[in-house]
Amino acid sequence: MITLVYGGSACGKSQYAEDTICRLSEGKSKYYIATMQVGDDEENIERVEKHREMRKEKGFTTIERQVDVKKALDEMADSKNALLECVSNLVANEMFFGGEIIGKEDTVRKVKDGLSKLAEGTENLVIVTNNVFESDSDYDEITLSYMDALGEINTYLTTLADEVYEVVVGIPLRIK
Amino acid sequence: MKLIIGGYAQGKLNYAVTKYNVAEDHVFESTLPTNEEAEKLEGKIIVSSIHKWIRKRIKEGGRPEEEISSFVKKNPDCIIICDEIGNGIVPMDPFERVYRERTGRIQVKLAADAEEVERVVCGIAQKIK
Repeated sequence: MITLVYGGSACGKSQYAEDTICRLSEGKSKYYIATMQVGDDEENIERVEKHREMRKEKGFTTIERQVDVKKALDEMADSKNALLECVSNLVANEMFFGGEIIGKEDTVRKVKDGLSKLAEGTENLVIVTNNVFESDSDYDEITLSYMDALGEINTYLTTLADEVYEVVVGIPLRIK
Repeated sequence: MKLIIGGYAQGKLNYAVTKYNVAEDHVFESTLPTNEEAEKLEGKIIVSSIHKWIRKRIKEGGRPEEEISSFVKKNPDCIIICDEIGNGIVPMDPFERVYRERTGRIQVKLAADAEEVERVVCGIAQKIK
């Protein structure tokens, strides 16, 4: 069962995604695949640590995978239930990893490959992705190619997913 | 309290004024009425473009979260209108990021407390709660 959770910034999508995987895994252990690069910003480190503690109480084990997410499967011993958050960071990481910019086509191919293999290897997978598309598109070429890649991947993920929800002000709207 | 959300220029205010038959002097644009202002008025009050007021209060170092909660408690019949501002590329400017984050959280809280939530697209309202 693959569930895609889509929404803008601070819309409550993480909360909904957590609730969903907790329900699907029926209280069994589950993994949280974190794609965000924490960096060395102290405020960020603290926030990530706090969230990790909060998830631990809910039975999550955190796996950090900034790129090539299918490798997370190697670390999933106890359960085949996972929540991946989020595709927008994953795409940025794949595209800009190591200071080198990888083209849109290659980025899309790599992210699709990673996520589809992760989906094949899991029993229940909840994927969180972002809506970054509904303001301006007057951006530089690199930002636009990032947006194009994310848009294409989101569209692919809706075909892969059994259920797709758009979360708006904390309310999940089922769109597939 | 009823919450109406949607993108910029989607006809949210016009929809609310027409549907709830609210007089012009009961509409507060980009501002939260004071207790005295609210007490003077009878019937439904609309607080429109509350995101602009949130931005202003964050800039002033205020606590928009608590101020809105206390306003809603005192005016349970009010209608609050807010733009959806979180559906774009993460802004470079740190203040813009904080503003987006806090406005989003406030909207989620308002939606949880609201008796009804409507999302307006091209003037058409969709009841989502």
